[in-house]
Amino acid sequence: MMRVWIKFAKESPMRFLSHLDLMRVWQRAIRRAALPVAYSAGFNRHPKISFASALAVGVTSEGEYLDILFDKQLDGAAFERLAETLPHGLKMVDWRQIPEATPALMSLVCAAQWELPLQADESRHLQEAVQGLLSAVALPVQRERKNRLKTVDIRPLIYRLEADEKESCLRMLLASGGEGVVRPGEVLKLLRLPAVEGRVHRTELYVASGRCFQEPMAVLLN
Amino acid sequence: MVDYKVKFWDIILPRVQKPTRYLGNEVNAVVKDLSRCLVKVALAFPDLYEIGMSHLGLKILYSLINNTEQWAAERVFMPDTDLEAILRDEAFPLCSLETVTPLAAFDLLGFTLQYELSYATILQMLQLGGVSILAQSRGEEEPLVVGGGPGAFNPEPLAHFFDFFMLGDAEETLPQVLFFLEQNKQLSRAEKLLSLSQIDGVYVPSLYMPDFDMNGCFLGTRPLHANLPRQVQRAVVVDLDAAAYPEKFVVPYGSIVHDRLVLELFRGCTRGCRFCQAGIIYRPLRERTPAKLKELAKELVRTSGYDELALSSLSSGDYSAILQLVTELGIELAKEGVALSLPSLRLDSFSGQLAEQVKQVRKSGLTFAPEAGTQRLRDVINKNISEADMIGAATDAFAAGWTGIKLYFMIGLPTETDEDVEGITALVRKVMAAYKQAGCRGKPRVTVSVSVFVPKAHTPFQWAGLIPRDEVLRRHNVLRQSLRATGAQYKWHGVEPSLLEAALARGGRELCAVIASAAELGCKLDGWDEHFSFENWQQAFRDNGLDLAELAARQYGLDEPLPWDHLDSGVTKAYLTKEYELALAAKVSQDCRENCLGCGMSLLLEGKDDKDGKGVCHDARLD
Ligand code: SF4
Repeated sequence: MMRVWIKFAKESPMRFLSHLDLMRVWQRAIRRAALPVAYSAGFNRHPKISFASALAVGVTSEGEYLDILFDKQLDGAAFERLAETLPHGLKMVDWRQIPEATPALMSLVCAAQWELPLQADESRHLQEAVQGLLSAVALPVQRERKNRLKTVDIRPLIYRLEADEKESCLRMLLASGGEGVVRPGEVLKLLRLPAVEGRVHRTELYVASGRCFQEPMAVLLN
Repeated sequence: MVDYKVKFWDIILPRVQKPTRYLGNEVNAVVKDLSRCLVKVALAFPDLYEIGMSHLGLKILYSLINNTEQWAAERVFMPDTDLEAILRDEAFPLCSLETVTPLAAFDLLGFTLQYELSYATILQMLQLGGVSILAQSRGEEEPLVVGGGPGAFNPEPLAHFFDFFMLGDAEETLPQVLFFLEQNKQLSRAEKLLSLSQIDGVYVPSLYMPDFDMNGCFLGTRPLHANLPRQVQRAVVVDLDAAAYPEKFVVPYGSIVHDRLVLELFRGCTRGCRFCQAGIIYRPLRERTPAKLKELAKELVRTSGYDELALSSLSSGDYSAILQLVTELGIELAKEGVALSLPSLRLDSFSGQLAEQVKQVRKSGLTFAPEAGTQRLRDVINKNISEADMIGAATDAFAAGWTGIKLYFMIGLPTETDEDVEGITALVRKVMAAYKQAGCRGKPRVTVSVSVFVPKAHTPFQWAGLIPRDEVLRRHNVLRQSLRATGAQYKWHGVEPSLLEAALARGGRELCAVIASAAELGCKLDGWDEHFSFENWQQAFRDNGLDLAELAARQYGLDEPLPWDHLDSGVTKAYLTKEYELALAAKVSQDCRENCLGCGMSLLLEGKDDKDGKGVCHDARLD
């Protein structure tokens, strides 16, 4: 048995793939690379592959993760084969073997970092709005769930927010799992920025390690 | 130059429903630098991606062309209505998937003609792609537009829109065409077409002319030059093992209709059902060897990552080594975690042993096509299977663990009476009783799927007309009522699409104007209930002084010239006439696997007399 985390990027054309499409793409790639995925036991056997976090259709990312259990110990060449057989727009960034008993990556992820490129004049205007949000005591937003409206205070779930004038981009570190979830669109709405799907980009996912956040590829596991 | 790809991917695709079907960068898609290719071909399927991508012929030609370095083939499908509306609004041309190149920029634009209900879609695609709809008004810079597939055997309704057609196995014709185009770039369109008409299987409609007498009666279609053949002969691949087969399948992102690998066991069929066009135009029977099939299967699995492989042919159970193949391939594939399936396995050739094997590989749906309810009518259509055989096969299948079965029938077959229609119910009851005989408890799930018989060109029933609409509906009601008490599920496909199909399937060039009018009225994707508009089609016929119902019902005289007489499927008209007469007398003909019936096919193959009494075109030739 070999448990592995794979970090990958989902670039422009592949951003249109749904969660289900993406799962199918990985399963077929793994079969093409002839890697022996472990299957769950029981009547409806399914391969032990899962994503760390769902990504909305239309959004690009350079920090996506896959958590896989293989039947056998594999060498580096096997993962090179896998990287090579991925379709254009899907890139394997890194992989690491982890102890088999580690909890599912999905359950460990607690924050996501996002980036949004800004027009030159937008970033100046934004400074004030960003400061406004950060100094607010509470930021109630309405969410619809099973046809019922619910109000959630997202202020404590915004871990970092900055408008970088030099690089003309907005950076956000938002809760994703753990304490709750904030969608980038919700913050953009509060900042009165148009929520264009194609503009947001996920740069990293984080897991909690003690009191700090760490990248899954670097976090200490035992 | 406009960067079509950037605009299409960044600005247009985010606005459509299912963008992944338009990405064109799927695994195993071939993306070449078109500026370095000598012949650029767009392979068009006049239906949605999910349908077109499931079609084997397209995959074969795609890999055949792309395997030659200096040629490129790209795919294009009919866009769904959301994308179509954007393309029209923004005057953005319909482009190929791989490099997002407008259709008008290709050297050759090939459409597959799988069903008549796709004909209006072809015109929509030409228009969206910026290609002139009428062949005669296309400029020197525009692509040559070619059609192939079953529809090419009566292409007259499309004659004005196509520069040429390819009859028969395109694996044979297409490389010759492309080689010619590569070598003769300097020639004009007219010169190219004249030369192409010399290739076996190529039919250039503008070089042939229909004649009419003073009363407007059709007299036949004749070549305009002395050195053109009076009849264009269909091209035939003789050795299927040696023929091109894709070693890689393009792997779609979203799910398509047939989302699996497909292995074509053989081409052709020897059963001789009299309504079946495929049974004629794919003659003779040509099988791939089990060794070749296993080799192909292995490669396909390795390159695609699919976990299911289907065996496919007109009647896969007829493959001479079917048991051996299913057993051996099943074991090999199982090692790799790949399931083997036999979709639409026909009970006609079902044995208990095969039932056991198939059960082990994957329990695919069991289908059975008696087509007619009584032995008399089955004799008329030459569906050579007795009731006892059918019930026996069904019992075997139930005993092997199947709990459901789907039965296909047609209504409106020549000589059909109410007794035949009610015979369907009697048969359904016996199939249900077989479930008990097989020792199963309860009732099996029986689905009865009924379609309207549509006569097709180049079949023994090509002279027959469709029964009138009211009569179809009456028989349908008779059947529905008599089936009610059986508890079988009844599926009915509706009469209107069949009427249109019949009107288009056996017409001549007068239908070109009708199809053009229909496209102008917005007809497209007519195979989809939500798009099909019978009113618009009726209007299109009326606008051109024709009546849809009348044409669908048209009965041809045996000695009357037919609009497709100048196209040779390999099977002679004399043979079809004989079969038609036998049909009307409810007399059967044998399977020609053992004994040749003299259909003419062997003449086309080697110019030999084909009445020497051995079967499948005298066996030895195929070895
Ligand atoms: S020539 Fe004879 S053997 Fe060949 S397809 Fe025709 S009937 Fe069958």
